[in-house]
Amino acid sequence: MNRRFEQALNCEAPDRIPFLPAIYEHKAWFVGETPSKVCQDSQLFTTALLAEYERVHPDALTIGIDVYNVEAEAIGCKVIYYEGNDTSVPAIAPEGVVFRGSKEVASLKMPDPRKDGRMPLNLEVAGNIMKVLGKEVPIRAALSGPLSLAAHLAGLENLFMLMFTQPDLARELLGFACEVIKRYGQAFIELGCGVVLFDSQASPDLLSPLLYREFVLPRTRALIEHFHQQGVRNVPLIIGGNTTKMLDEYLETGANNVLCDKKADVKEFLHKCSAARRAFRRNMDSTDFATISSEDVYRRTVDCLKESNGYPGFILGTIILPYGTPLSALAAIRSALQEYKHS
Amino acid sequence: MKELLDLAQLLEQGQSQKVLTLTQQLVDSGLSPQTILNEGLIAGMAVVGEKMRNGEMYLPEVLQSAGAMKASLAILKPHLAREGTASRGKILIGTVKGDMHDIGKNLVTIMLQGAGFEVIDIGLNVEPQRFVTAITEHTPAVLGLSAMLTTTMLNMKTTIEAIASAGLRSQVKIIIGGAPVSQKFADEIGADGYSRDAVLAVNKVRQLMGHTSY
Repeated sequence: MNRRFEQALNCEAPDRIPFLPAIYEHKAWFVGETPSKVCQDSQLFTTALLAEYERVHPDALTIGIDVYNVEAEAIGCKVIYYEGNDTSVPAIAPEGVVFRGSKEVASLKMPDPRKDGRMPLNLEVAGNIMKVLGKEVPIRAALSGPLSLAAHLAGLENLFMLMFTQPDLARELLGFACEVIKRYGQAFIELGCGVVLFDSQASPDLLSPLLYREFVLPRTRALIEHFHQQGVRNVPLIIGGNTTKMLDEYLETGANNVLCDKKADVKEFLHKCSAARRAFRRNMDSTDFATISSEDVYRRTVDCLKESNGYPGFILGTIILPYGTPLSALAAIRSALQEYKHS
Repeated sequence: MKELLDLAQLLEQGQSQKVLTLTQQLVDSGLSPQTILNEGLIAGMAVVGEKMRNGEMYLPEVLQSAGAMKASLAILKPHLAREGTASRGKILIGTVKGDMHDIGKNLVTIMLQGAGFEVIDIGLNVEPQRFVTAITEHTPAVLGLSAMLTTTMLNMKTTIEAIASAGLRSQVKIIIGGAPVSQKFADEIGADGYSRDAVLAVNKVRQLMGHTSY
């Protein structure tokens, strides 16, 4: 088993810095299909994950293409899938929200992970991958975080307004979201998979740290604690954007792997994460990988690795890789990782 | 005038009902709707924009203020029309292909309408060709492109290329905005401007149209 990722999570210096590129819609590219097609076909999805592992060699694999849609769709939100060769990422249709604040949260459908939407498909893929790679590399299932799921159910603007006008209702909706996430996560855990929570709607680019603390933090902390009790020791929480302002809250969630996105202050993350003995993933900018040379990718990687300052809990990541990102760019990152020695 | 300062402050606090009541009172008192708009609403939103830039206000609070402004504008609009206030220009706005986020776009729309621009909002997940068609149909002075994701921001470039291919690039100024974009990105893709928030977007539009910025 590749223990590099787990060693970094435990802040025990691995043989080299682990690499976790953010490959979601780009998975489909490995099998020459569109994200819409692959995320609806368990065989294609499985093949895409195996191809990703073979060609990119990440230090952990994540089951997920259109990460934030699966739970919301299983509850009843409408997802837009794209036809033909359109490689856009499926997304929740704005008119497809299921909670408009006028009805009871209790009337929302609690999905059954084995029956509803694409939850069974994702579980099937996880089972397939666990059989082939489960002893070789950590496999984690992507789960929506509570704010992001609640935002899909109600619409982000509506959810924010509820926080002011009907705070108890907003809390209730977040509580419902947590229950969905727990059940879906539990189904993966039973397959032997790990989980990773994605909650980028909680970024300070959108929500204040104060509102995060009041509405989201208690529920996220309880959710992570629940997964710990189920035997999942490592629960990463991914919140994009500049999370420097909410780093205290972020660490209070109990997640042992947080995200330091390209806009965030890496020095502040080093300071606070080392004090709290938590790992963090530093994202390098990868939006232009299709247009810059491998040498430039290599140099950028080295610059990013230098930011680690030798911290054993440092993980190298990318922002979400666009569909079609050239393999040469990822090969350049791997070369830099293998050759880099912190001085 | 104290009431206008109060209006700006209530707007900043997102107190919709009080903003509505005071707007109506000011209209009833015979004060020019243009003055109410400029010295009350727009002044209030300028403070909101500044506080957002400084990290003192976040999106949920800004949405409250924008909601109050939108409601207040609905009261002022017929009076502004009666006063014969001419549109300051036509703006076309939309979120690019693949992106379903509209909060930023909606905020910019409210601010532009408040500043007297005619805004044609063509919605979310807009194909490059639809932007081309809308430019031909509406002949806007400025096009606003919005994206919220690092993956969909690349479709801003595709959209600008489609507009250029259609021979329309010289007819329209293009401004971009959204969480992942920057001035550097705007320069790289050939946009004419970038704005980090809705208040500054109005200034940028005015600047691109050769108006005096406030």
